[in-house]
Amino acid sequence: MSEGALAQGMSVLGRVPGVAFVLVALIAVFASMSPGFSTAPNLTNILVQSSILLLLALPMTFIIMTEGLDLSIGAVLTLGSVVLAAVALATGSLTVGFIAALAIGLAFGLLNGWLIAWLDIPPFVTTLGTLGVAQGLCLVITDGTSIVGLPSGLQFFYSGYFLGIPFPLVIAAIAYAVMHGILYHTRLGTYVPALGGNREALRHAGVNDRVVLAVIYGIGGLMAGIAALLLTSRISSAHPTAAIGMEFDAIAAVAVGGTQFERGEGWLLGTLLGVITIGVLRNGLNLLAMPSSIQVICVGLLVIVALFFDGMRKAQE
Amino acid sequence: MWTARSTLKFYVGKKRGRRSDDHLHEYRRGVAVPPFAICPVERMVGVTTMAPLKVDGDARAPLLELRGICKTFPGVRALDNVSFPIWPGEIHMLCGENGAGKSSLMKVLCGAYVADEGELFHHGEKIEIKSTLDARKFGIAVIFQEFSLVPYLSVAQNIYLGREFPGKVLGTIDRQKIRSEAQRVLGMIGSDIDIDAPVHTLGVAQQQIVEIAKALSQNARILVMDEPTSALSDTETEHLFGMMRRLKAAGVAIVYISHRMAEVFLLGDRITILRDGKKVATLLPDETSPGDLVQKMVGRKVDAIHRRGANIKAGEVALDVKGLSGPSGISDIHLNVRAGEIVGLCGLVGSGRTEVARAIFGADRVTAGEVTFFGKRFTGGPDEATRRGVALIPESRKLQGLALIRSVGDNIVVAALDRLFPSHVFHPGKAGKVAQAMIKKLRISTPSARRAVQVLSGGNQQKVVIGKWLTADARLFIFDEPTRGIDVGAKAEIFALMYDLVENGAAILMISSELSEIVNVCDRAYVMREGIIAGELSRERLSEENILQLGMHHE
Amino acid sequence: MSQIEAAAPKFKLTVSRDLTDVAYRLLAVALICIALSLVSDAFLTANNLLNVLRQASLVFFMASGLTLVILTGKIDLSIGATVGLSACVAATVIKSTGSPWLGAAAAIGVGSIVGLGNGLMVTKLRIPSFIATYGMLWVAQGATYYYMSGQSVYGFPTGFRALGSGYLFGIPIPIYLMVAFLVIGYFFTKRTTYGQQIYAIGANTVAARLSGIPVNSRLNLVFVLSGAMAGLASLIYLARLNSAEGDIGETLTLPTIAAVVIGGTSLFGGVGSLFGTFIGGLILTLILNGMNLLNLNANWQPLVTGLIVLLAVWLDMKTRSKTDSN
Repeated sequence: MSEGALAQGMSVLGRVPGVAFVLVALIAVFASMSPGFSTAPNLTNILVQSSILLLLALPMTFIIMTEGLDLSIGAVLTLGSVVLAAVALATGSLTVGFIAALAIGLAFGLLNGWLIAWLDIPPFVTTLGTLGVAQGLCLVITDGTSIVGLPSGLQFFYSGYFLGIPFPLVIAAIAYAVMHGILYHTRLGTYVPALGGNREALRHAGVNDRVVLAVIYGIGGLMAGIAALLLTSRISSAHPTAAIGMEFDAIAAVAVGGTQFERGEGWLLGTLLGVITIGVLRNGLNLLAMPSSIQVICVGLLVIVALFFDGMRKAQE
Repeated sequence: MWTARSTLKFYVGKKRGRRSDDHLHEYRRGVAVPPFAICPVERMVGVTTMAPLKVDGDARAPLLELRGICKTFPGVRALDNVSFPIWPGEIHMLCGENGAGKSSLMKVLCGAYVADEGELFHHGEKIEIKSTLDARKFGIAVIFQEFSLVPYLSVAQNIYLGREFPGKVLGTIDRQKIRSEAQRVLGMIGSDIDIDAPVHTLGVAQQQIVEIAKALSQNARILVMDEPTSALSDTETEHLFGMMRRLKAAGVAIVYISHRMAEVFLLGDRITILRDGKKVATLLPDETSPGDLVQKMVGRKVDAIHRRGANIKAGEVALDVKGLSGPSGISDIHLNVRAGEIVGLCGLVGSGRTEVARAIFGADRVTAGEVTFFGKRFTGGPDEATRRGVALIPESRKLQGLALIRSVGDNIVVAALDRLFPSHVFHPGKAGKVAQAMIKKLRISTPSARRAVQVLSGGNQQKVVIGKWLTADARLFIFDEPTRGIDVGAKAEIFALMYDLVENGAAILMISSELSEIVNVCDRAYVMREGIIAGELSRERLSEENILQLGMHHE
Repeated sequence: MSQIEAAAPKFKLTVSRDLTDVAYRLLAVALICIALSLVSDAFLTANNLLNVLRQASLVFFMASGLTLVILTGKIDLSIGATVGLSACVAATVIKSTGSPWLGAAAAIGVGSIVGLGNGLMVTKLRIPSFIATYGMLWVAQGATYYYMSGQSVYGFPTGFRALGSGYLFGIPIPIYLMVAFLVIGYFFTKRTTYGQQIYAIGANTVAARLSGIPVNSRLNLVFVLSGAMAGLASLIYLARLNSAEGDIGETLTLPTIAAVVIGGTSLFGGVGSLFGTFIGGLILTLILNGMNLLNLNANWQPLVTGLIVLLAVWLDMKTRSKTDSN
């Protein structure tokens, strides 16, 4: 009897995603180790800081579900920020700058999609190539230095409040709602797991899989453009290496959230939890005065542990 | 009692087979009661609620007519001037050997290939099918052998993939309608699969049903099915046949590809035979017999497989398996093979034959039991098995047996590298000599040892796989479906090779779905059922009837 | 069995795909050289050409190990970070012990350990290689930054520096090393059973396993070799730069992959050669050298390298799909 009850208890636990346990454990550890961690301002801070990452991790979830990868998304975000700053300075209009950032993001996303969908180049090498191109453009545009002296109105987007809620959180919530709607309530979203799980089936169903794939990468670029607004606002300037490497945190969040690199298995809520987990980890380590190099190592180890448990789970099935 | 299942795999030239076939003829003519559940009336309602047959153009014209269809690939004429009509309400059997052009024809019908030459007429009007959308427009739906399902979408989402109903808000989908429509279509077939279950949680048979539901949901007027029963159980097969009859009554035409003679004569209204991309004949079942059909398919008189003489001198035990169980679904497997013996391992598809072979070879994990090769306990992986002189000729040559982009020579020596070059220094000249000798010995037809394996025919590719293991000096061979997809001439050569091997002291464990092969080639056989060994048949008791008796699901 | 002895090999003289591939790429090298000598007087000088070869040798060391990995159908994205970590560890070892030999052992040892980590993640944890080595990239880079904590190490013994900037008979020492490793690499890939098995794994991993090839141990081997070669490259890099900082390897991964891909090694495995990679590295270096001669800012380098990678992969896919359908 007790064995049966135990098994039942285990199966209930089994339905709670692993990332939730990790998140709770991390919060418990950091709360006990540093008194500043579990204060309201710090917790809000974690969420605000995570909002930029969420904007990248949401489309990354879609992309990974198609058995793809976007290594360029951090560099495209940086390029968006550089373009935003450069255009805003040149025209004096933040709006024009923001539109330019959206356009450059979308262009890179669609370029990735085109190379992957029509030319059949493997995603990791495609986006590694466009990473180089985007990074190169950042350096060429800025000549390796920061762009400063941006209009002060810019700061609202990261530090302002909307109805008492930090503005980045508003953006993040809208982005999550929209992406959730796309994934679970539109045709496009239905085709995302199909691209990863059985692309042939999609073709047989008369769907133009290439267009769908290009649109998905395009969304990634567009979201990087939106994130560029928050990033530029956050540092009140544009720097050619500002978000280089952020794609790692985005991929890590998706992987920790339980989305698989094969067969089109994935879910958006997991990614949200993954993003918060990474945010908590980085913030907690920061409070413990750990350098960012240690943080990167910890994120990497977290991913390996997550993938290890995924492997165990799959082996059991 | 003969059920549909038990007759599925009988083969030409066997007395029992012939009799059962006559038996089936009677069913077809309605003389005898078919061994299928008679469809309940309420299920028939499902069919009548389907859209009535719409007739555009000439009502007396065939639903679809193919005229002079040709399709050429570099080096292969896949379809050569194929013409035949498909009438409403008929089950049209398409027969032919592997490579005869059946799948190319199917792909032309569904728009995956565009014919180079020839015309298609739909109700007497000339049409063009250039994409899957075109095919769907004309009511053609194809159920492929490889499933076109998405693992992490639900059953309902899969059925309406690409045809989602639009929701109220622009760009959204109406999930509720997708669910209710999917439920309705599954109800039509009489299936109780959970429409919200993700497809990856379903078994193969259930996935097949989802495939069929998908085709039906498109109001298909012409349903093309490629060996749909290969993975189904008895009840499921009966269910499928019942459903096909109802569809037929509703005026749907079914093009049915099958290798199973019993099905061809049980269901077929007309039979079209393809050979080397050409249509050989379209026949009524009454005009022909299984023997005649096979003869037309292969184009020459089939020589019965030469049965091996009974003077078997079984030697030492080469393979001894005791209580083998594993996560792949096999449990408590006991079997042995002696040097000089060919031992069969048979059972229905999915009964665990391949899994046993893989577990023995160390390719899959095992949880219990022991394997002994030539008297020595074996626990390693495929590399250790190879060192011990064990060979696995896998089910899928292309996916598991060969490196297609590499040369014939490279493939022949790959398993023998450590044996040929113990110092690890590779001599291309020596490897070339060894490969050349093997090409000559097995009469592999290739322009050169340096030619990529992918350009060879199926039979020659199989010889390369066998040559690989001969080069490795294997003494225990596990053949998994050694004759699948190769022509009759090459089959005979493969069997001759196997006889040669055992006469020289090798041991063979052979898996085959062709019961006639097991009966004629093997000295004794084990029959599997649902992951266990259901029984062993000695040479005296080895017959197709006995195999089926043991291998059938008992309900 | 006497048949085997009796049969004489009857190989027709067919030009293999490898050879035509290499020929095309040599043609590309010649064309780039002609173009550059036309636009810049400084190009066709012995000094510049030797400089190009020396640069190419560095790319070759990193790319040779990666070629082995890609031949098996896997990828190693951690190359640059491995070079960085090895270089920094070696630098501190040389500084503290004064012994270049201990430094060399440390660099190759660290590289091998990182490679083994990659291999085990791929073979034991079954993580796709692009994701496992991408994670390793960041872990190794984080470790490098932590280890150096913002400091730089510089000023090595002259004997050690000769490895990067010394000359023998008027030719830079790295070029000798490159030739030596090209020969060793050729022997390893084409004339050992290991090399044959590496090609077999890349062509069809499942078939290779079912043909008795110990796939996991060979994959571990190529990842370790890739790491070890990165360690070796880091030594030459260190000797040339005469200083080590945390960000030393950051920009090296993309050019390394570019060299392999330009060299004609297929990202899908089973096709390619080390000699091709050498030429690929040469082409890449020539283009970057040309940009230098034309006074194009170094900021353009990642952009151009990125475009070259995309172009090379695309061309490769094009030619491959053409030969496949023939």
